[in-house]
Amino acid sequence: MKEITEKELKKLNIDELTHLFVDNINEQNLKLIEGIEFLVEEKFDEFTKNLNYVIETNTEVQIKKTFEAKIFKSKLMFSKADRLKLFTKINDIKGIGEFIANKMLLYKVVFPDNEFKTQLISVLKSLKSISNGLTEAIKAIGSDLSKAQNICEDVKDERRKMRKEEWQLLNRLYNYDMDYLSRTFLYLKELVEDIMMLADHIKSFSEYIQFLATKYLIFD
Amino acid sequence: MAVEIISIVVVVLIVLAIALAFSIGANDETLSTLVGAGVIKFKVALLIGGIAVGVGMFSFSFAFVAKTVGADLLGEAVTYTEFMLLAVLISSILWLVIGSFAGIPLSSTHSLVGSIFGVVIVYALTHGDVNPETAFNWVKLNNIILSWFLSPLFGLIITYVLFKILAKFYLSKLKGLNQIESSEKRFKWLLLIGIIFAEIWVGANSGEAVGILYGLLDGGTLNLEQYIFFAFICGVFSCLGIYIAARYVVRNLASQMMDSRPSESLITQISSALILMIATLLSLPISHSHVIVFCILGMSVAQRKEVDYKGLGKMAIYWVLTFPVAAILAGLIYFGFHLFGLG
Repeated sequence: MKEITEKELKKLNIDELTHLFVDNINEQNLKLIEGIEFLVEEKFDEFTKNLNYVIETNTEVQIKKTFEAKIFKSKLMFSKADRLKLFTKINDIKGIGEFIANKMLLYKVVFPDNEFKTQLISVLKSLKSISNGLTEAIKAIGSDLSKAQNICEDVKDERRKMRKEEWQLLNRLYNYDMDYLSRTFLYLKELVEDIMMLADHIKSFSEYIQFLATKYLIFD
Repeated sequence: MAVEIISIVVVVLIVLAIALAFSIGANDETLSTLVGAGVIKFKVALLIGGIAVGVGMFSFSFAFVAKTVGADLLGEAVTYTEFMLLAVLISSILWLVIGSFAGIPLSSTHSLVGSIFGVVIVYALTHGDVNPETAFNWVKLNNIILSWFLSPLFGLIITYVLFKILAKFYLSKLKGLNQIESSEKRFKWLLLIGIIFAEIWVGANSGEAVGILYGLLDGGTLNLEQYIFFAFICGVFSCLGIYIAARYVVRNLASQMMDSRPSESLITQISSALILMIATLLSLPISHSHVIVFCILGMSVAQRKEVDYKGLGKMAIYWVLTFPVAAILAGLIYFGFHLFGLG
């Protein structure tokens, strides 16, 4: 993502700062997902590089600081608190991503079989899709709340689909005949659960956007 | 001795009337939507609201609601005595204080008219030369009581209709949060005008304070110059009531209204101001708080929001109770005066 100076940041309005922030966080999310894909392919160098990127990147901190300074002095009236909450929720995604990246870097796992890998790739594809969907929904809040509401409905549908696959993955893991090393079992179990955690946060975020749409839109 | 007591009572009545004007201002929460929307600075809002109420109270003190309370409610054969007015004021204040301690929102208008009713009936019963049937202007009283039921109802209907029209032709066309924000920014300036309009009619319809003074004018205790002077003082004190004492209520309510939309506040305030204006021009003292509660209810119904019918029912019971309780209380106080030969 292109570096942006402090001076340039100060010129942006609340809406533009939110868009920039969510783009930044989504980019890190996609890097995290790509990193896990590298792990599946046993490309450990790329995996480590991607996850370290998620941990070390802090360009969003300056955006957050600028946003917070602006929102307190902002002339916005009734949407001020909601916009701040929206921003905080985006920031929570960064926290979750960083937590997952740190945990994943503790060990280099080798996957048990191709079925597990294929199903995990499918879950990651859905995760990528809901992360992009959420970003699009957040960007639509300012211009079209109905559009944001519809995107969130799609995100929730995709999350429902993912959940089934996640349980299948865990079921597979618990029922392998081979007695795996406890570290491998623990790592894979936590990987699936962490993906679930991130996906659940995205889902609850989507519900919050739908709440905003209901709150602000007036129908005749 | 008797003359001295009467003079003291007159002074007490004027002081209480002025205190009542101050408390009318102090209890006025109309400005909270304006402050909540952050349209103008807090102190400027208090000053503008205070001046508007004061102007409304003084400008309409020569007839309308003040005349109804101070003269027209009485039958042809009856004029207020100083002790009748004192009983009315004590009873009204006492019932309102009891209501405040019990946490019950009561109407000062209902309390005052109820007290007048109680005092006049006891006056007629204790004075053989006065017929209780003609002691009261029953037509006026019927109109006032009818307006107490109709004004909240019309408040609800007007708010509902105004919101539906605005929603259909404008608000529903706004798509994103940015568009909604800019639209509401424009509404907040309209809200400022709406609130000034509303405050003028709040002052104009608050006939309790100047009504007592009008009673003294009608009974010949005050001359016209004195009445104008004290009515002006009442206007000033209602303004001071808002500026000095209402700030706590306004600030508290405003902090809960940060999320409220100026467009919605404008509709409720305009609706209630229209009702108050019509009632004032018809010389009918009505309860501002009852009207505004029903305007907010109309807004909730129009937006299909949940309505607290239980709370509303509880409030309605106290509304209905205010008139008879204030009447009995005032009647007893006046009867006490009569027993001591003061009536």
